[in-house]
Amino acid sequence: MIKRVRFHGRGGQGMKTASRIVGTASFLEEFFVQDCPLYGAERRGAPMVAFTRLSKEPIFERGIITSPDINMIADETLLGDKSANVFQGTWEGTITIVNTHYPASHVRNVYGVVGEIVTLDITEIALNVIGESVLSSTAAAVVCKLTGMITESSLEKAVIKELSSINLKKELIEKNLQAALTCFDRIPETHPHYFEPIKEDKMDEIVKLEYADPRIGTPSVYAKGNTRLKKTGNWRLFRPVIDHEKCSRCRTCFVYCPHSCISIDEGDYPQIDYENCKGCLTCFYECPKKVISKDHEVRAW
Amino acid sequence: MVKEMLTGNYAAAWGARLSEVDYVPAFPITPQTEIIETLSQWINDGEMNAKFTNMDSEHSMITAAGTAAATGARVFSATSSQGLLYGYEMLYNVTGWRVPLVLVNVSRGLSAPITLEPDHNDILSTRDSGFIQIHAETCQEVLDTILMAYRIAEDERVLLPVLINMDGFYLSFTREPVEIPCKDAVSRFLPEYNPKHAFFKASKPMSQGVAVLGGSAYSYFKYQMHLASLNVLTVHDEVAGEFKRIFGRSYSATEAFKIDDAEYVIIMSNSFTIKGKAAVNKFREKGLKAGLLRLRLIRPFPSTELKAFLRGKKAVAVIDQNISPGSGGILFKDVTTALYHDPDRPERILSFIGGLGGKDIGHAEFKHIVEEMEKSIETGIVPETQLLYTKNDLEHINNLLNIAGNPLEGLEN
Repeated sequence: MIKRVRFHGRGGQGMKTASRIVGTASFLEEFFVQDCPLYGAERRGAPMVAFTRLSKEPIFERGIITSPDINMIADETLLGDKSANVFQGTWEGTITIVNTHYPASHVRNVYGVVGEIVTLDITEIALNVIGESVLSSTAAAVVCKLTGMITESSLEKAVIKELSSINLKKELIEKNLQAALTCFDRIPETHPHYFEPIKEDKMDEIVKLEYADPRIGTPSVYAKGNTRLKKTGNWRLFRPVIDHEKCSRCRTCFVYCPHSCISIDEGDYPQIDYENCKGCLTCFYECPKKVISKDHEVRAW
Repeated sequence: MVKEMLTGNYAAAWGARLSEVDYVPAFPITPQTEIIETLSQWINDGEMNAKFTNMDSEHSMITAAGTAAATGARVFSATSSQGLLYGYEMLYNVTGWRVPLVLVNVSRGLSAPITLEPDHNDILSTRDSGFIQIHAETCQEVLDTILMAYRIAEDERVLLPVLINMDGFYLSFTREPVEIPCKDAVSRFLPEYNPKHAFFKASKPMSQGVAVLGGSAYSYFKYQMHLASLNVLTVHDEVAGEFKRIFGRSYSATEAFKIDDAEYVIIMSNSFTIKGKAAVNKFREKGLKAGLLRLRLIRPFPSTELKAFLRGKKAVAVIDQNISPGSGGILFKDVTTALYHDPDRPERILSFIGGLGGKDIGHAEFKHIVEEMEKSIETGIVPETQLLYTKNDLEHINNLLNIAGNPLEGLEN
């Protein structure tokens, strides 16, 4: 039996490490296993995916998982992001797990999710136990439990091994472990609806390509100004907020913003374009008066 | 010996470390960078006793690799795609110097359009350079092949550099369980490099890679490279035999999968082969006698072995994960050339192009290949080279073209 796990998150949330923790836990259980992140031109905050395959038999697959058995959506703002395409290839046998405070029924109704759905606010658990919204261990723990094939002790060893390999301090690893075990416990052992329906092959067909006009058959973009159509505000994990009452109008934030998301208004005050601010927090760190605060983005959808 | 979860890149770094290389000239490029980052870290931490130099380009990097190897140092380096092409000129030079270094290429489709995912136009563009070429399917094979490559390259019957290929992303960033052999076993297999042939020494001045005017000298040396490359067919099997004896894992120039009673054979290379093997298993479940050959040793090309495997088969389909515009698949030509004079060659040999820029090759594609082989047997007609492209792919590109804007719309005549 093979389990294909797909992780959706944003750069910096820890989904590559999550896929590796599940990979190592499966390895410790002596399964055949593969894990890999998909790198494009991603940066912190951009949608990204990672994959883990675990199986009791040799794995005759590689690369992208187009149809997951377990689909971990670690960032709820991705649900509405068409380009992230988080429900791609989900089917009756998929268990989708969404990191949100909303109940599963709500997510199912809003997005018409196919297959089983589980929700758990792992960000809240991470913030409470670890003190940061880094989701590698918590997401991995949820997935490990949902596979039904990985023990708590393998998860524990895998969290320690993977977090040590990225040079995390011992006390932080301890906290991650505690958060992971909390999540492992919160997912029920046998969910009544987890089942293994038989999947039918969807058959595609081969087509013959014909010569196209070179204005179409060459990699060129003719549509103008389309970069502006892609709003990047939903990349944000934290929202920088300027306290205008204390702001000295020094323009440091305006100069440092790498995405030109800060403009100067008529009163000479900096204003943030929240539709596009990616939440890199450069302004927060650079503000000489320290009058910019950061608010955690919740209930973003 | 320990078993660990390693990416292909990490496995390559382990291969270099276990080979106790002396020198690593480097230049970063995605998806290869993790290899040189890992080596640089190990050398910095004193876990590896080698000299690491970050160069200003791949051209300098390959020059440095070749010249260092010419002093008798054991040299390792890695690159990918555009980087390999940037150093292209020097590939032909270092083979001409007959220096036994090992270079890993992490395959990535060539620009333009620019991409990060794999196909083999980068590595196959160097097929005539004189480098020995071995293409790996798994992360384990990457590590093992590096150990084998030094044995092959440093053999007095060869003395040519080796290029080892692994697919970007599918191997480079994918972790899977890999056995890391213990140092003692590796030392038994790969002794310290003590070159007997000419090499630079301060006390013993000489010239290497000298200019020759007049074709007879040039022809002589070029043909020597060809003969050296052909010797690898024997040397590879000897080295593989010894590798198996010490490490228990067995590699042949061509890997045969369910080939013995097969009537229809698919030929592939590199990591996508696993998709072909899965397809063969599916066809077999349905009673079709399918099999697969994986081309591992690409230069020299193991023609005799291939002929023996394919003798008497009904039909063969070569999937080239590369394209030579205006000609078709590159490996298809090597396969057909190898088979042409065999009186008992397969009845039909078909050519397909697939997996360009990392495009998936799904079951629909494999089903199409087998159907085309059957049809060709029935009708006696062999189709032209076909691109493995599906209705879904076409929908996808049409969607993208739509976003990109159609310049033909609203055009006045």
